[in-house]
Amino acid sequence: MTIKTKSLTDGMEIEHTVGNVFADDPKMSMRNVDVFYNDKQAIKNVSIDLARNQVTALIGPSGCGKSTFLRCLNRMNDTIDICKIKGSLLLDGEDIYHKKMDPVLLRARVGMVFQKPNPFPKSIYDNVAYGPRIHGLAASKDDLDEIVVTSLQKAGLYKEVKDRLSSSGTGLSGGQQQRLCIARTIAVSPEIILMDEPASALDPIATAIIEELIDELKEKYTIAIVTHSMQQAARISQTTAYFHMGSLIEVGSTDHIFTNPSHQLTENYITGRFG
Amino acid sequence: MTSTALILIITLLTLGSYWVGMQRSIKVAGGVSQIKNMHSLPQQFGLLTAFCCGLPALFLLLLWGIVEPIIIQSLLVDSLDAQVQALSSADLSLYLNDIRIMADSTLSELSNDGVKQQAALYLQVLKDQASILKSGLILITALASVMFIASRFKLSFSARALSESVTKFLFLSCSVVAIFTTLGILMSVLFESLQFFKSVSSLDFLFGTTWSPQIAMRSDQVGSSGAFGAVPLFAGTMLISFIAMTIAAPVGLLTAIYLSQYASPTLRTIAKPMLEILAGIPTVVYGFFAALTVAPFIRDTGEALGLNVASESALAAGIVMGVMIIPFVSSLSDDALNAVPKALKEGSLAMGATESETIKKILLPAALPGIIGAMLLAVSRAIGETMIVVMAAGMAANLTANPLAAVTTVTVQIVTLLTGDQEFDSPKTLAAFALGLMLFVTTLLLNVIALKVVRKYREQYD
Repeated sequence: MTIKTKSLTDGMEIEHTVGNVFADDPKMSMRNVDVFYNDKQAIKNVSIDLARNQVTALIGPSGCGKSTFLRCLNRMNDTIDICKIKGSLLLDGEDIYHKKMDPVLLRARVGMVFQKPNPFPKSIYDNVAYGPRIHGLAASKDDLDEIVVTSLQKAGLYKEVKDRLSSSGTGLSGGQQQRLCIARTIAVSPEIILMDEPASALDPIATAIIEELIDELKEKYTIAIVTHSMQQAARISQTTAYFHMGSLIEVGSTDHIFTNPSHQLTENYITGRFG
Repeated sequence: MTSTALILIITLLTLGSYWVGMQRSIKVAGGVSQIKNMHSLPQQFGLLTAFCCGLPALFLLLLWGIVEPIIIQSLLVDSLDAQVQALSSADLSLYLNDIRIMADSTLSELSNDGVKQQAALYLQVLKDQASILKSGLILITALASVMFIASRFKLSFSARALSESVTKFLFLSCSVVAIFTTLGILMSVLFESLQFFKSVSSLDFLFGTTWSPQIAMRSDQVGSSGAFGAVPLFAGTMLISFIAMTIAAPVGLLTAIYLSQYASPTLRTIAKPMLEILAGIPTVVYGFFAALTVAPFIRDTGEALGLNVASESALAAGIVMGVMIIPFVSSLSDDALNAVPKALKEGSLAMGATESETIKKILLPAALPGIIGAMLLAVSRAIGETMIVVMAAGMAANLTANPLAAVTTVTVQIVTLLTGDQEFDSPKTLAAFALGLMLFVTTLLLNVIALKVVRKYREQYD
C-alpha cells in the first residue's frame, strides 16, 4: 500500500512531541528551539535532551531540519548570516547562545564530523595535531605525539597509518578519511560529538567500522548522529528522534521507536511508506 | 571583384549551404518523419555542407592572394625589354613600382615614358583578368564542393563524425595561431638581438653598469660612443616593482581575505566592482597622478624631514604602480580563496578554530597556488608597466637602491630607443630588442621559479 505524502501531512498540525523528551541525565537540553532562514521557519518548537554517554539518532526525511538542528548544537549556523535561532539550548546547564559563551570554546567542547569526509590538505599527523595546536593542549612535542597516537587509536585508524603519518590525509580512502576526521575531533577532547550522516558517503564495510567506532566512543562522549539509514539508527543509538518538516514528532528509546512507534507519521516513515 | 566582396559572398553562400545541406538530408531521408533512419541529424549535414562550401573557397582565396602577385610580376617582367630585364634587382623593383603606380592612378600623364605607360596598361589588363579568374574559380569551387558533398548524402553517411572532426580542426588552428604569434614575436626579438650582440659584447650588456645609448651617427658628430650596460635598467625595474609589490601584495591579499571571509554580501557587491574600477583606469592617468600629486608630496615630505628627494623618484612611481595592481592581486586571490571547499573551512571552525586561525592555517595554504599566480601576474604587470615610470620616475639611468632617487626601467628605455626617427642598423635601436629579450627571459624565469615553489608548498585538496 502506498500513501501519498501530501495526504499524510495536510492539515496535520504538530503541537506536541510524542514520547519522553526528557533524559534522566542530560548532557544537553534544548527547549522550544525555533530556527529561521530569513522568514522561512526551518525548526519549529523543538525540545529534546541529549542523554550523557548515549547515542541519540536524529532521523527523518530529507529537508526535515535534522541537520539544521544538529548544526545549532555547536553554533555552526553562526556562519550563515540569514539564520536566526530562538529558544534555550543548554550544555551542562549553560546557555550556549548566551552573549558570554564563546562559540570557539563551545566548538572545542562540542565537536562535529561532517557528511563528506573533509580532511585538511595536510599530513595525517598535522590533521590530528591541528586542534591540539590551536588550543595549546600539548606542552611539548612528546605530548603532541601522544595525543595524535591515542586519538588515532581511539578512531581505530592508527594501525593502518602508523607508518605514514607524514603522508597527506587526502590520500586515504573515504572510510579512512572519515575516521581521520573523527580522530581529529577526538584530539581536542570534546564532551559531545555531533555527526552529520558520517557514513553516507562510505561503502558498507567502512560504514560497519564507523558504526563499531561510534559504539565504543559513547563510553567517553555524548553523541548525536543524523542519519538517513534507519538500520544504522537502530543498530547504534539508544534514543531516536523523528523529525518531520521542521517539527520533532516523536522521541523515545530506539527499541520502542522501531518496534512500537506511537505516532502515525513515525510509523509511516520507519515502515518505509514514505521518506 | 575585390577580396572583401568575395569574402562576403562566400559567407552568404556558406550560410545558404547550411540550409541546402539540411534540406538535402531531409529529402534523402524521405521526409521529416523519416529523419530517425539517418545516421546523423539534418543540422549535422547542414554544418558539414557549410564547411565544405566555405573552407575550400577561403583557402583558395588565401592561396591566390599569395601566388597572384608573383605570377603577375613575372608575366610583366617577361613582357619588358631585355634591357630592362637586365637591371639589378633593386633598380628593377623601382622600375616595376613606377609601373604599378601608373597602373593604379587615374592620371595617365604621370609620366611621359611611353614604354612604362604601355607596361602599365598591360599590368592593368593582367590584373583585371586575374580578378575575374579568381572570382570565377572561387565561386565555382564553393558551389562544386557543395554539390559534391550533397550528392554523397545517404542514410548511412556519417555527417556527425565528419563535421565534428572539422570543428576540432578549426579549434586546433585557432590555438595554433596564438602559439605561432608568440613564437613569431620571440623570433623577431631574438634575431634583432643577435644583430645587436654583433656590435656590443653580451658581457658588456649583461654586466655593464653604465647605460648611455647615445651614439654618434656620423663620423664628424660630437657625441658619446654609447654604453650599453643594462644593469641600471634592470635594477631600476626591480626597485620599482619591489616598491609596487610591497604595497600591492599585502593590501591586495588582505583585501581579498576581508572580502571573501568577513565582508557582508552587501558590502561585497559594492566593494568588489569599486576595486575593479581601479583596474580600469588607464595607466596614463595613474602616470599624471603620480607625477603631479604623489611625487611632489613625497618630495615635500622628504624635504620636511631633511632628506634629499629627487622630484621624480622611484618611490612615487612604485607607490602609484602598487595602487594600480592592487585589484589584480585582490581579485584573483579572492577567487582562489573562494575556490577552497567550504567543507574545509567548516571542518576547521568545528574544531574550535577561530576565523583568523582558519584563514591562516587552512584557507591560505589551500589557496596558495592561486595566490602565487595572482602575485606573479601583478609582478609581470609591474615589470611591464611603462607609462607611470616615464611620467613619475624619470629617464635617468642611475644605478641605485635609493627609492628617493630618479631611476629608469627597461620598458621606458625601450620606448625612448624606438620612438622618433631610427635607423635599424645602429646598436642604439637594436638595443631595444636586446632589452625586450632580456625582459622576456626574466619574466619566464620568474614564472618557472614560482611554479616550482608552488608545487613544493601547495596543499592539494580535491
